[in-house]
Amino acid sequence: MSEVKEKLFKELAAAVVDMDEDKAVATAEAVVAAKIDAYEAIEKGLSAGMERAGELFDEEEYFIPELLMCSDAMYAGMDVLKPHIRQDAVAEKRRVVIGVIEGDTHDIGKNLVKIMLETSGFDVTDLGRDIPPARFVDTAREIDADIIALSTLMTTTMDGMGEVVRQLNAEGIRDSFKVIVGGGPISQGFADRIGADGYAVNAADAVRLARRLTAAEAVAA
Amino acid sequence: MPTIRFLPDDRSIFVPAGSTILVAARQGGVTIEAPCNGAGSCGKCRVLVTERDLASLRLPDGSGPFDAGEGISAVLACHAEVLGDLTVTVPERKEAGLKIASHGVRGDVTLRPYVVKRYDPDRHETSILAGDELLAVEQGDISAECFGLVVDIGTTTLVAALMDLEDGRELATASALNPQSLHAQDVLSRIRFASTPDGLEEMRGSVVEEINRLIASVVAQVGVARERVYEAVLAGNTTMIHLACGVDPASLGKYPYTVEFTGGCHRSAAETGVAIAPAGLVYLPPAISAYVGADITAGILATQLHSEEGTTLLVDIGTNGEMAIVKDGRLWATSTAAGPAFEGMNIACGMRAGKGAIERFHVRENGEVEIGVIGGGEATGICGSGLIDIVAELVREGVIGPNGRFVNTERVSLPSTLRERLVTISGKPAFHLADDVHLSQQDIRQVQLAKGAIRAGIDLLLRHLGVEAGEVRSVLIAGSFGYHLRAESLISLGLLPSEFDGKIEFVGNTSKTGAEAILLDRECRPEMVRLVAGVEVVELAAIEGFDKAFVASLKF
Repeated sequence: MSEVKEKLFKELAAAVVDMDEDKAVATAEAVVAAKIDAYEAIEKGLSAGMERAGELFDEEEYFIPELLMCSDAMYAGMDVLKPHIRQDAVAEKRRVVIGVIEGDTHDIGKNLVKIMLETSGFDVTDLGRDIPPARFVDTAREIDADIIALSTLMTTTMDGMGEVVRQLNAEGIRDSFKVIVGGGPISQGFADRIGADGYAVNAADAVRLARRLTAAEAVAA
Repeated sequence: MPTIRFLPDDRSIFVPAGSTILVAARQGGVTIEAPCNGAGSCGKCRVLVTERDLASLRLPDGSGPFDAGEGISAVLACHAEVLGDLTVTVPERKEAGLKIASHGVRGDVTLRPYVVKRYDPDRHETSILAGDELLAVEQGDISAECFGLVVDIGTTTLVAALMDLEDGRELATASALNPQSLHAQDVLSRIRFASTPDGLEEMRGSVVEEINRLIASVVAQVGVARERVYEAVLAGNTTMIHLACGVDPASLGKYPYTVEFTGGCHRSAAETGVAIAPAGLVYLPPAISAYVGADITAGILATQLHSEEGTTLLVDIGTNGEMAIVKDGRLWATSTAAGPAFEGMNIACGMRAGKGAIERFHVRENGEVEIGVIGGGEATGICGSGLIDIVAELVREGVIGPNGRFVNTERVSLPSTLRERLVTISGKPAFHLADDVHLSQQDIRQVQLAKGAIRAGIDLLLRHLGVEAGEVRSVLIAGSFGYHLRAESLISLGLLPSEFDGKIEFVGNTSKTGAEAILLDRECRPEMVRLVAGVEVVELAAIEGFDKAFVASLKF
């Protein structure tokens, strides 16, 4: 990698970690001017920055506001780079269907997970909130998703997550998708009980989980 | 079938192999506190087993064993599955000396009780009338003995007061923990617990039984016969009232959160199982919505919120952060998911407001730290008011930055008295308070989430009305918890806008005092039903910008 390229990628990552939208835009413009591959810049610059932000979140250095401001910088840089991505450079993205389970309208946590997944290179279809189990199953099949991500804040609605798994089983397509769950009342034990593939304690953890599950799938395939 | 022996009760129970310890305990009538109802998230159902007996258990991930020293291990009762015979020790609950506020403000009340007595000297008998209806006729002149009862059914605590309907005096009070909390701590877990007929009956039966114990206590304190108590007013949040009346609360736990039973009516005491006069009545004040309950209706009445001039805000700082606001005679109400941090839940060293809890914290000008502990002895944990005080003071002193992070002492200079308390526990920063009691970085995050939810609720409610924070004339903080708080801490924390400084008043348990007003003055009732019908319920989640307001409110 040329030195200029490396320096710009580092600056992109730093702009994200430092929550500096202006710097993200200016650096992205410099990437375009230098005719550096836009896709690579997103991957190795902006996404790498988001990954570092996720680590800082885990280390309790950053909290939700910081994470959102980092993602604002990331999206600002993306807006500049996106029109310059060469189609042949785009690797097939992993697809995720996400939503808040039926009966629940609390979606701040889900939105955060969506942002983190998107900025980590997943193609996310957001169904929104108060979503019946069947819609997760139908949408996952329609878009040939890799992952179904379910969220809820309420103890009273968490059983709907188990219903998604049951419906996948009933239709004989359980193995086609990884089901991941999260939210206030959810635990690893609950995920195990309903037969989900994984539980994430927060948005940064959800990215790691999604990566691990899709990597395992690639190896298995 | 394996046999489990529970200590210290010394009760042995057979269960099918694979049952959890918690299920076994419930079958055998042994109480293990499991506030999250077996979700495995609260960690409060830890029980002790010897290392030898560990072999008789299957322990799924995260359920233990945790080393408890001296060859003893702790396991989570909700997850540990019994495979063979063993002995389980249930640790003693540390709830001694629980602090429950039973007082609060109440506007003037005209004495016009619903239940009255008329003595007929010719027939030498006393008629007991409820409204225009004849409840009962008793022999002799007992017209001077006419009593009523109010019960505030809090999610955590119950408070009962015996009232003299002849002169309006409060004769005796008693309080207890809400026994439902042993099975399920928060409102949603209880709705879930009550999703089966047995679960609902357990919830109903246990709270009514505890209410009856409180009734026995208050009548015994003043030597009144419980048969002379003719009416009871039960106030509480919507879920508590559903459960106490045995009404299925399922619809409260799911969007669109419809209310099955709105109250504003009587039930017979016999039907509800409340042990007052057999012919007696139970009155249930009207609820505003699924998450703004009859406790807030009572609070509005107690504070006379609806007749306040200008703009006045009433906030109950609790798990569901209910609030009501009046502007020029019109009322709005909302609630916000603050979570249980202020009850000491999900806090590393959190506990309820009982003996040993840190309830006050102050940093003096010379940097010295002052710590107030309930009961005055050694600190064993932090309760809600202590938590708010600690975080607020540390923010004010710059130990916690605006982003909620403990500051880096290499970059920021702090008084040595504070710096030396910044320690590292399991590799993470924490603030040392006492031996075995500290505030963790994660605790601060929980406080940020809780206060952020309430503050976002206030900000959006004000925005919805088109009112600036500075235009609010007075701010009333309700709830038994509210009494132990300090206004300056609420402002330093940013839970309330700084414009509220000097306008904050703590009004105490207005659920109870409002219920008293309802008991003593029958005219309150139609007024309240009218009032509730006119309240506009604001759905925060449906308002544009709630996410943004919430995130903005997370900062200090």
